[in-house]
Formats: sequence, structure tokens, C-alpha cells
Amino acid sequence: MRRMSKQRTVIFIGVMGILLLCCLGGILVWVGVSRSTTTSTETAVADSRTATLTVAYSPEKAAIIRSLIEQFNAQKLRTPDRQPMQVQLLEMTPEEMVTQVLAGAATFQALTPDSSLWLDQLNQRWAASQAAAEPGTIRPNLVGEAVRYAVTPIVIAAWEETARSLGWPQQPVGWQSLQARAQQDPGFKWSHPSTAHASGLLATLAEFYAGAGVQRGLTAELAQDPKTVEFVAAVEKTVRYYGEAELAVIQRAAKEGPAYLDAFIVSEQLVVAFNTGAFGKPPARLVALYPAEGTLWADHPLALLETPTLTANQRRTFQALREFLARPESQTKILQAGYRPADLSIPLDSPGSPLIPANGVDPLQPQTTLQLPSWDVVAVVQNVWTLTKRKTNVFLVVDTSGSMRGSKLANAQAALRTFLAQIPSDQERVGMVEFNSSVVNIIELDTLARNRPALTAEIDQLVANGNTALLDAVRTAYSRLQRYGDSERINAIVVMTDGRENASQVSLRQLVAEIRDGNQTLPVVIFCVAYGSDADYEVLQALASASNGQVREGTPETIRDLYKVLSSYF
Amino acid sequence: MTLAPILGTLAGGLIAIGLSIYFWIATARGGRRTQAVFFLILGVVLLVVSAGLGWQQLGPGNPEPLVATPRGPVQVRVLTALPVEPWVREAAQRFNQGNFRQDGQPIEVQVIAMDGLTALGKFDRDDFGTLGDRSREELTPQERERLETTFPTVWIPDSRYLVELANAVYKERLGRDVFLTDGEYRARPIAISLFTWGIYQSRAEVLEKKFGEINWRTIHDAAVAKGGWPELGGDPAWGFFKLVVPNPRRNVGGLAAMIAAAGEYYDRTNISVADVTDPAFQKWLGELMAALTDVSGASAYTAEDFALFGYSVGDGGQLLESDLLNNMAGIQTRWADPLVIRYPKYLTWFDFPFSIWIGPETTAAEKNAALQFQRFLLTTEIQRLAVQQGLRAVNNEVSVTEGDTLFTRWQSQGVEAVVPRTTRMASPSRDVLLALLRWFDLNVGR
Repeated sequence: MRRMSKQRTVIFIGVMGILLLCCLGGILVWVGVSRSTTTSTETAVADSRTATLTVAYSPEKAAIIRSLIEQFNAQKLRTPDRQPMQVQLLEMTPEEMVTQVLAGAATFQALTPDSSLWLDQLNQRWAASQAAAEPGTIRPNLVGEAVRYAVTPIVIAAWEETARSLGWPQQPVGWQSLQARAQQDPGFKWSHPSTAHASGLLATLAEFYAGAGVQRGLTAELAQDPKTVEFVAAVEKTVRYYGEAELAVIQRAAKEGPAYLDAFIVSEQLVVAFNTGAFGKPPARLVALYPAEGTLWADHPLALLETPTLTANQRRTFQALREFLARPESQTKILQAGYRPADLSIPLDSPGSPLIPANGVDPLQPQTTLQLPSWDVVAVVQNVWTLTKRKTNVFLVVDTSGSMRGSKLANAQAALRTFLAQIPSDQERVGMVEFNSSVVNIIELDTLARNRPALTAEIDQLVANGNTALLDAVRTAYSRLQRYGDSERINAIVVMTDGRENASQVSLRQLVAEIRDGNQTLPVVIFCVAYGSDADYEVLQALASASNGQVREGTPETIRDLYKVLSSYF
Repeated sequence: MTLAPILGTLAGGLIAIGLSIYFWIATARGGRRTQAVFFLILGVVLLVVSAGLGWQQLGPGNPEPLVATPRGPVQVRVLTALPVEPWVREAAQRFNQGNFRQDGQPIEVQVIAMDGLTALGKFDRDDFGTLGDRSREELTPQERERLETTFPTVWIPDSRYLVELANAVYKERLGRDVFLTDGEYRARPIAISLFTWGIYQSRAEVLEKKFGEINWRTIHDAAVAKGGWPELGGDPAWGFFKLVVPNPRRNVGGLAAMIAAAGEYYDRTNISVADVTDPAFQKWLGELMAALTDVSGASAYTAEDFALFGYSVGDGGQLLESDLLNNMAGIQTRWADPLVIRYPKYLTWFDFPFSIWIGPETTAAEKNAALQFQRFLLTTEIQRLAVQQGLRAVNNEVSVTEGDTLFTRWQSQGVEAVVPRTTRMASPSRDVLLALLRWFDLNVGR
């Protein structure tokens, strides 16, 4: 009896165990299947609930926007259906934002460029790409209602001594004073960013206004008038070199002081940041000159892209972000960073405000702005500037020593191709010097219109082998530029190496002396790329210093972006 | 997704624990302890699996079940004209916190800022996606999801005539109105405001000294002064006279300003297509618009911009009274030059009608929830809030001069509680609006 009861128990336990194991197995199979066969409908609906908002921002406000977004994300807000409201950031130039959206390749749902003018351009170009919109119809806008959280006027930043020599503070200083000084004084060094940034566009617009002899009503016809174009070309010849956006320029000014540039175009906020030590101890005080003829405002709009894929929750996140940026704490932080906050109840002279004359700025300025023409006139200005800007003679000096083998060389090749692709005008002259144990190949300087195929073919065929005759290669390029003696153009060498000099005939000392001597008559700027951790940084630094150039560090991952940045200098 | 796996594992776990207890009791009677331990472990494992599945499906941050049945609060999405958006948004926040319910469900009001003309364009193009001949049941899950999360329940445009224009479009497309003009769900004004001149005091003094009165004709004369402010008797540092008019592509106030200018040019309140296409008028308007600082389409050129960028972008212009009042203090703080307000000869009023979409795209619950919000906006408390933000109340119990309001605070700068002039510009027809937009596109915006 007892034995039978024991058997029953065993059978019972066995059945229950099998049932439970089946249940467990079934659950595991179900979980696996549900994960692997998630239908497109489920994905689409899940995507349609997302509250993660990606915002593209322009580089000059990286510090403040990153800090604010970090605070926003730390709040861990959720939508009513419990989706996390997160903001992700993407840094890119305003021009890139426009290009990506129009190409349908944008991975962001909101954007905050340096100026509203990019939003206008985006709207107009997008509308033009849609079904023919008759003038007068109510056209759709791709960009939603923009909000502003920080504004700052664009100014001419000059060292105090330079500002005084231009007449500040007794006399009004404007675009014409700057342009006249640059044309009269060959030693005067000034720079403005390319028209891919609001500050560069403003400086260029000011030249077109002055060239056309008007202070408003600039039309496409006036901008293309030969007299205007001639004037702009003459002024552009005085630009030392172009380059990156204002942030990179002011960082360099902090490092090199007045020897770098006498004046440059930046936003007022960067002048404040500079004078308050955000970039290290200032070598001298910068003064913000508010152009008498008028300026523009970098108004940092924040707007949504009204695309069909925008979810209701992303709209909620945008609204939450907008409210967060408008909070007194955020606005105070914005003021402390040197911007003028959008909240008008915060006085610019409130306690602790850095917007004070001691920091080189005047909160009651500017008195007037330049008239911002319509987008098609702006587009004409951008195109004409590309043709009238100071042209370049640039030699690419490329290391193909044995240490470059493998992915290092492949990435360098991609970077060189990017460099060529980024140079907008075929009138720029580009040549190439390839070196390893000695100079192994030279493509002579010629316009890209003629040289592009040869350069591209040579880049495709680069093979890594041998030692590193860096100095001989630089000397080859330098002597060629000196021989051309073309002072009308910017003359430059972009040299890249990943190793240590070990095969040249010329010594560093000798080459530096030659560069210093030659640059007295024809300045040639040497941009050096230290590629990887083994690059001979000291040698590159010596070459850059001798030519008022710069050394940039690159890795296989960043080399392509670095060459893209360097292309903006030409 | 389903709750079956969670419930299954939970039940299995509980059964196993139950068996474990059974065998513990049996152990006391001489059974084996290993059986009890086995079922205890199995039970715990199943409970853990159940909890894991529950967290995966119902935990925070995970996708909710598909949208087969409506859940959560009744959504009221309100497309709101820019001038009343801050007020409506604040009211919505209070409403959402106020435990209002519709059919037992809480109500969530979501405010979407959109200029009246932009919204009209979206209705024109059917961008929001009406059902047409289809019923809700015929929609795909994605279409239904989109309808339930994005279709506007309410539109508050700047002016009633925009509602009429939208209705005209839908009458042609669907054969019926989508916003009612009478009955319980009719479009009802929730606040009013009017266009006034707002000019920096330093500049107004110079203009009034030279021209006597500020109106569209004298502003035109200032705009065409070739020598700029020095020719008008002002400071050379001020540059040229700079006019502030909202861009009509971004702000319906821009069209209102152009129509008001036409009214003073012709000295009458009814403007026709023939009037706005007259070459002499267009030349005059072109000269006036040449004084705009920003002729690009980016800026809505609200009074907020005017305050933010100060006299550097505009000396003065015709803007909505409420917008100007809201920014008076900020302008003084930021630019140390106060603004003065002057009332024009012909008045343009905006009445911000609260218009509930009555088509099948919104549910009865949503419509009724919207109606609750409308009543809330008309309460004395919320109407007082409107006055605090520079709007004129439509609720007769609320006075613009009761207590410390923007109307009493800025009397010294020319604000009048009772508008001194009463001649009102007539609402423009769609053809007049489109003719002006066409002129702007061809002559100013391009």
C-alpha cells in the first residue's frame, strides 16, 4: 500500500515536472520567436512612439548646448505613455544641416544652427524642390515655428591696440574701415570664416554691399555687377586665409595672440568668452567692434523639421526642451556663457553678467543691422564669393613610407579624396608630392579643372614602402611654390606623416631657415598633420611655426574629417 | 503582445510552490524533503521568469501594446496661433492638472504653436489627412496611430476669416463645413487684440516732430528718406529708417499689416484685388517694404524679435497690441529706450476663434473634451490670465484695467484701455490675401 502510494507520488511529480518544463520551454520559445520575428508593423508602431529627439547644432555653441542638454536629459522626463524623453546631439555646420535635409539624409528631427537665415534657405530650397508652387499660394514650410534661447551679434573682433588704431572708441568703426585698412596696410592680417557660417556670410555680404555702393536693397543683379565683383575680389585678396568656424579661430588667437591675426569676424559671445579666460589666459584684450554700417545677429533658432516621420512624442520632447531652455536657470547659464538670453526679464547688466565693457563688449550695441536679402540673393552672394575669394596654390605632401601600410594608407587615401572633393572651385591650383625613402612622385601644381583626374589616379595608386624623407618632400613643395612666386594667391602646403624623419638630405635647421627667409617675400603657410602617435611632432611643429602654420593631430578614424576641415582654409 | 505568458509562468510558479508546501507537510509525515526542495526551486524560477516578462512588457520605457483600443487620457490637440500660444499653453497646463474628465477618462490638452496662415495652408493641402470616404475601421494600424496622435482636435487661428477660408476649402473637398459657425460646437472667440504702432520713443519723437502723426503715409515717407535718420532729424548712428512688419509667409500679422497699409493708402476699409494689383499702389508698397531689415522668410518678426534685437533691427512697425505689451518691460530692460504705442486710423482686430474640428477624424469624446477646455478658457480666472498677458478678454466680467495690468502699467506709453478709434478694416477675401502674397513673393521675398 505504502509502496503504491510512493509510486503515485513519483508519477505525479514526474507529470507535474514535465508539464512545468513544457511550460518553461514554451515560454522560452515564445520569447525567442517574438524577438526574432518582430513584424514591421510592430517596429513601425514602436518607432512611432519614440520620444528620442536628435538635434543638429552648429559647432560654435558646442560647450553651452552640450551642458544644457546634459541637464535636460538628467531630468529623466517621460511622455504620458511613459517613453523616455531624451535629446541626442549632432554637431555639423549649418550648411551641412541644409544639405543633409535636402538630400533626405538627415538623421535629426530638430536643428539649431547659428542663424535663422539657414532655416529660411532650407524652407525655400525645400519648397522649390516640391511640386511647382505658384507665387502667392500658401506654400508648406518644412521648418516649424522656431524659438530662440540665446542671441549674440556678429562683430569684428580686434586686439585693443588694433581697435584704437582703427579709431575706436572715439569714431564709429565699420566694414569699410576694416577693408580700407587691409588694402592700405600689407602687414594687416584679418580673416573671416567661409560663407558656410553666419559670421562668414555676414562679412561677405558687407563686402557686397560696399562694392555695390548701397546699404540696402542688394539684388542678384547688383551682386553680380562686374564693379561689385571686382571690389569684392580686391578685398578678399587681403584675407590672410579662410579656415574653420569662429571657434577654431578664436582658440588659435588665444594661443598665438596678436601675431596670428589683427582682426577677425566672430560672435560677441566668443569675445566675452575669450576675455573671461574660457580659452586660457588671454594674451591681450579683444574688443568687439559693432560695424557702423550694420551687422547681423546669430540668433540660434531651435526648430523642428515638420516631416511625416516626426512622432507626437518627439514633438512633446521638443516642447519640453523648449520649456527647459526658457527656464530662468537655463537662461542665467546662457548669460554667464556670454550670450544675450532670450528671456527679456533678465537684464544684461544683472549681477555677475559678463556682458560688460571690461570684457570688450557694449550691451547697448549694435545700433543698426545690415539688411538681410532674400535667400536667392544670398545664394548668389555665396556663389559669387566662391569665384571671387582669394585663390589658392596648395601642395599636398603625402607620406607613403612602410609604416603607412594597411588601413592607415587606405584612410589617408579617403581623406585626400575628401579634400579634393571639398574644394568648391576648379580654379584652385593643387599639386602633390609623394615621399617615402625619397621624393618618389610629383604632380605639378595646376588648376583642379586640369589636375583633378591625375591627382585622383595618383591617390588611388599610392603604395606604402621604405623610409621617411619628410624634410626633402616639404622642401620640394616649398621651393616650387617660391619659384612660382604667385603672391595673388594663398600659398600653402598640407603635409602629412605618420613617422620620424630618417632619410632626408636637408636638415631641419636648414629647411626652417629657408622657410623663414623665403616667407619674407612670399608667405607660404604649412599645415602639418601628425598622423598617429608615432609622428614626429617636434619636426612638424618647427615647420608650422616657421611658416605661421599649424599642426593638427589625426588618427585613422579622424583623418578624413581633418582633411575636410583643412580644405575649408582654401 | 499578450499577458498569457506572464500569467502562465505565474500560475506555474504558484503551482510549484503549492506542491513544495504539500511535500513539506508530507515530509513531516515521513515523505522526502528533496521533492519539496525541487518544487520550491522550480516555483521560484518560474516566478522570477514571470516577473522578468512582466517587466519587459509593462515596465517603464518599453513599448506599450499596439493601438487596438484607445487607452490613457482623452487627447485634445490644439493648433494655436502664435500671439495667444503662451496664454493657451499656460491655461492648458492648469487644465491638465485640474482633474478634468471626459467619459471617465482624464483629459490631456496638447498645444501646438502654428501660425494661422501656415495652418490654413496645411488644411488647404489636407496635410493632416482627413478620412475622406473611409471609416476609421478601414485604416491600417499606422494610419490609425497617426490619426489618433497627430490630427488636430481644435484650431485657434488669429482671426475668424481664416476659419471661413478653411471651411470654404473643405466644402469644396468634402461637401460640408469642418468648423461650425453656430450651435454648441461653434467657433467662439477666446480673446481679442488689435494692431497698433509700436515705435522706440527716441525715434517716435523725431517722426512726430517732423510729420505730426504716425501713420502708414508718414512711415512711407520715413522709409524712402534717402539720407536715412539724419535727413529725418535723427541720430546718424541709427542708420536708415527700419520698418518692422511680420513676414507674411511666417506670420499672418504681415498680411494684416499690408492690408492696413492699403486701407490708409486708399482711405477706406474694404480692399479689393483691383486695389492691391494697382501698379501705383504696388510701387508705394514696394518703397515701404524696402525699409524691412530682414526680407528673408526666416523670421516671423513678432514683437519678441523686435524686443530681442531692439532698435538694431527695427525702429517701429505695426504689430499686435498684446505682443507689444508683453515685451514693453523687456524692451526697456534691454535697450534703455522705451516703446510708445499709437493707435492707427483703421483698426485690424484678431479674435482668436476656438474652432473644434467636427469631422469623423476626431471622436465624440475628443470633441466634448475640447468643449470643456473651451469653457475653461472662458472662465473669469483664465480670462484674467489673458489680460495679464496683454490680451483683451471676451468675458465681460473681466476688465483690462482691473488691478495692475499691462494696460494700466503702460498708459504713460500710449496704451488705451478703450480704443479711441472705432473704424474697423473689413476682413479680406481669399483672392486679396493670395494677391498680396503673390506680390510679396515676387517683389520682396525674392
